[in-house]
Amino acid sequence: MKDKLSAVAKTFSPSPIQQLSHLAQRRNAINLAEGFPDFPAPSLLKSAAVSAINSDFNQYRHVQGICDRLAKIVKDTHGLEVDPLTDITICCGQTEAFAAAIFSIIDPGDEVILFDPSYETYNACISIAGGVAVYVALNPPHWTLDNEKFLKSFTSRTKAVVLNSPHNPTGKVFSKDELEVIATACCTNDCLAITDEVYEHITYDNTKHISLASLQGMQERTIITSSLSKTFSVTGWRIGWAIAPTAIASAIKNIHVRITDSAPAPFQEAALTALESQPQFFESLRQVDYELRRDFLARILAEVGLCIQFKAQGSFFIFAEIPEECLLSDVDCVRKLIEEAGVVGVPGCGFFHSNKLVEVGADNFYQKRYIRFAFCKSDDTLAAAAQNLQEFVNKAGAFDRSESVKC
Amino acid sequence: MQVAKRLEKFKTTIFTQMSMLAIKHGAINLGQGFPNFDGPEFVKEAAIQAIRDGKNQYARGYGIPDLNSAIAARFKKDCGLVVDPETEVTVTSGCTEAIAATILGLINPGDEVILFAPFYDSYEATLSMAGADIKCITLRPPDFAVPINELRSAISKKTRAILMNTPHNPTGKMFTREELNEIASLCIENDVLVFSDEVYDKLAFEMDHISVASLPGMYDRTVTLNSLGKTFSLTGWKIGWAIAPPHLTWGVRQAHSFLTFATNTPGQWAAAAALRAPDSYYVELRRDYATKKQILVEGLKEAGFKVFPSSGTYFVVVDHTPFGLENDIAFCEFLIKEVGVVAIPTSVFYLNPEEGKNIVRFTFCKDEGTLRSAVERMKAKLKRT
Repeated sequence: MKDKLSAVAKTFSPSPIQQLSHLAQRRNAINLAEGFPDFPAPSLLKSAAVSAINSDFNQYRHVQGICDRLAKIVKDTHGLEVDPLTDITICCGQTEAFAAAIFSIIDPGDEVILFDPSYETYNACISIAGGVAVYVALNPPHWTLDNEKFLKSFTSRTKAVVLNSPHNPTGKVFSKDELEVIATACCTNDCLAITDEVYEHITYDNTKHISLASLQGMQERTIITSSLSKTFSVTGWRIGWAIAPTAIASAIKNIHVRITDSAPAPFQEAALTALESQPQFFESLRQVDYELRRDFLARILAEVGLCIQFKAQGSFFIFAEIPEECLLSDVDCVRKLIEEAGVVGVPGCGFFHSNKLVEVGADNFYQKRYIRFAFCKSDDTLAAAAQNLQEFVNKAGAFDRSESVKC
Repeated sequence: MQVAKRLEKFKTTIFTQMSMLAIKHGAINLGQGFPNFDGPEFVKEAAIQAIRDGKNQYARGYGIPDLNSAIAARFKKDCGLVVDPETEVTVTSGCTEAIAATILGLINPGDEVILFAPFYDSYEATLSMAGADIKCITLRPPDFAVPINELRSAISKKTRAILMNTPHNPTGKMFTREELNEIASLCIENDVLVFSDEVYDKLAFEMDHISVASLPGMYDRTVTLNSLGKTFSLTGWKIGWAIAPPHLTWGVRQAHSFLTFATNTPGQWAAAAALRAPDSYYVELRRDYATKKQILVEGLKEAGFKVFPSSGTYFVVVDHTPFGLENDIAFCEFLIKEVGVVAIPTSVFYLNPEEGKNIVRFTFCKDEGTLRSAVERMKAKLKRT
């Protein structure tokens, strides 16, 4: 009966990452792998959700107020004029917004350019829609955009570019210059862009998140996707959205209605409260909590001997490199950390891809040398991780010690 | 700026159009299938508790263990099958997503899929998204029985799957044991999958609901789809699920992982509590709906409609032709503007709209007062021609 699976579903195989996560559970290891907070969601939001349930907002619902509010936010933040009645679709998370966007624009054979490393879900979605993912590697160690590689990746079949900024897993925030290169290429090749901006409010050192759609010639060809999840620490509520030019937005809405019909009603109500909350709320998220945690985690990872050549400018991930002296792969290194330090990260290999088209003879060794750690964790969790890692270093030695027997 | 070709089938749904017209005319909405009363307190409380307890982050992609177990336990109670919650149950954002994940995970472009018309409107659109080759068999009034000979001609070794819905929206028909046995033997003979949408299984009035997965030889080739919304009057919570053997669940989960990734966490905790409701909840549910159904059906008959018997769901379909309107859409528009009641024209639920032009659908998932008011309006204002 295995032949009853769709052809694409058959290509998906169980990941080494899943096996590591089972190991981590068995070892009761401190979880710096998963990209969601272990501290409570804001009271303001929880109260709003409870209130919605009690007020009987429990049937199929579309809360237009969310669209109205989002239209105002993108206007104030990015200078974009969107029509809240026609251009915005509320979805079950950014995941669904992205899926609906892909299904709305990708025909079989259409090519979609992605920057590598990239979040695995994009590829799966593109494949099922019949599209072809074309990866453009960002250059380590600072994950810079290689203009030449990027421009060479366009063909007559390129339909869209996917841009995730702030970026998972590297923490990169694409610069204005880089965005301009991307925008120019999209306009010249007359193709679309889909952005994933879920970490838009999580940036550091006064780095500004710029929405690609705000660049010249881009609004008419860009689908913005984002969500409540990361900004408001409610990843389990599944409230996201897609903002697009009217014709495309209409297509996205019609697809969304067939995928899930609507986002959860009480959480839509709470989303309205969240989006209407004072700008100071956003500020407090940005400045105080996450930046300190980033710095703290960077310090303790450095003490274990991991290299952090690129300081995360946004998101809540640090993409740390295994030092030269250590010959372990990312998977083996993560296993070692689980078994001997009781701390979990995600091996970077799950985010890297290779192309049939480009990278012939290129050195892809680096694709097995990174580990992603999340710092959207409580003080207690980070402190416990620090302690565990310290004990690990005392016992086994840091990764950058040149006694290879330790690895 | 080109949208994908698959969108030719996609337009705003009929529900949205009718709802907008209804609001404009202050009409009583017996069109869209959601209650105007709320779900039970104990389920709402469970969700509130979950929110307060901090269950607001990503759930495990295929469902929180407690809900998967509760779903498996309920399924065993309902049809006797023992399934593994870890490998055979997948939680989704409503049954709509369960259907989308099943189709996208298990159907290849060009695969032949058999549908029964009239059908819930997302089926055709989602099958188009997957590039399926749709073959349609029409269920006809007055009893909407499965035309077995037609099915035998339609099904072959080329057929990949049958998508069925019992109890059936919009007609209220429930597939009988004889019909299911026929479907089963044809599927086994031709190695065909069955996707069975059973969201209304607890609203079975005239006969017991039978899950096709429980027939001999069928579990291994069936995906059974269901949800919380209809049974517990919480249609906006978007908690649904798919039950299938591991090799089919695999496909469903792959698609689900990129469609929505995970389902809302507090709703899942509440759903687990809901599914553990005692039998008395379901008895009372059926009794309440039976009363509502009687009010509507008697009222529709008195108003002059030809009412087709409905065994399950909270829908009833009727023949509107006694009132002399040209087709179902014209009738529904007339009903909203001149009578002040909303029904759904069923032609959109057929591949060939002509087949539905005499039939419209009413729902009785409204409080009794609302149903009586709607009935009064229709009795007063509808005149047979």
